[in-house]
Amino acid sequence: MLILIGLSILHLATIILLLVATIDNAWWVTEGMSTDVWARWILQNGAWNYTDLPDLPSYPSDYLQAVQATSVLACIFSIIGIFVFIAQLFTLPKGQRFTISGVFQILACLFIMIAASIYTDRFHINDKGNYGHSYILAWIAFGLTFISSVVYFVLRKK
Amino acid sequence: MLRVLALAVVVLLGIAPEPSQAISIYTGWERHALVGSDIRLSCSFFSWRFVSDDVSFTWIYRPDGSRETVSIAHYAGGEAYTDNKGRFKDRVEFVGNPKRRDGSILIKNLDFSDNGTFTCDAKNPPDIVGRPSSVRLLVFENLPIQAGVITGAIIGVVLGLLVLIVVIYYLMRFLVARRVFSLSVSKHGKKKKEGSQQRQLWTPPPLTCYPLP
Repeated sequence: MLILIGLSILHLATIILLLVATIDNAWWVTEGMSTDVWARWILQNGAWNYTDLPDLPSYPSDYLQAVQATSVLACIFSIIGIFVFIAQLFTLPKGQRFTISGVFQILACLFIMIAASIYTDRFHINDKGNYGHSYILAWIAFGLTFISSVVYFVLRKK
Repeated sequence: MLRVLALAVVVLLGIAPEPSQAISIYTGWERHALVGSDIRLSCSFFSWRFVSDDVSFTWIYRPDGSRETVSIAHYAGGEAYTDNKGRFKDRVEFVGNPKRRDGSILIKNLDFSDNGTFTCDAKNPPDIVGRPSSVRLLVFENLPIQAGVITGAIIGVVLGLLVLIVVIYYLMRFLVARRVFSLSVSKHGKKKKEGSQQRQLWTPPPLTCYPLP
């Protein structure tokens, strides 16, 4: 019982982390700029302005769209996974493993890893600044979804 | 009786003074094209009246950054007239079908100087009150990736694959279950035949009586 509650909380936590990483525009921050997969916040005259991201050829916007797509897909798979997990709680026969929930979580893990890897490799290679909280949460979500999926693959229903 | 009523309604609608409905003109919002290519700018309209013989289309061009307009194509009285003096000389062709409310034009061999706004004004007498509609033309050297195309494509393909896998899985299970069911039915049928032959040999179980308390 306790394990199941813990597992659900872990899964919900990964969903929240994935959503924040996808929605918040903070994969790369500098002093006056916070930029990401959807738009760029620029600090002008003490106020933050929401501006568009630059386009090709200065900014690889085609890879950006790949990062957008894969991070959104990671969120979708994780959210489907929690519903599948709840369904499996009621329908799975005793002694069986939560394989399908595990599959969805491992897919979410894979996609957020692809998103973060593409971002690391193709963006801000020579720029000054730091990775923002969305980027860090993306990697943490990668780790947590991996752990979660392993537990789903190993755990048997009592 | 019903037929008379229907006829009366049609006649009344035909001769009653038209409520002031305006003609609605539709073009695209923005069009992207490559240098040197051709582009078809579509223009259609909606009008409560039938297409009259005096239907007219007028295309007006306004270059980017300028406030002056110039007419480049006109269709009226069954004849199409195109630009024969200006920058679109011999490059504009009227390809619409006015009888089908289509007043599209084809512009050939685009250049960067063709960037601008094209306005289509259609009139279907006596329905002439309408707002002309404009389409913006952008000419590129390389067509840029439109925002979100790659994103949408990746998401669509992956989710499509997921749905496909789920459908195939349930289909396989359904088919396998049906085959197993039909096999078991045929086996059960055979068993039933054999069972009826043996019925004479079957004796009812002995009744056991319990003494009353």
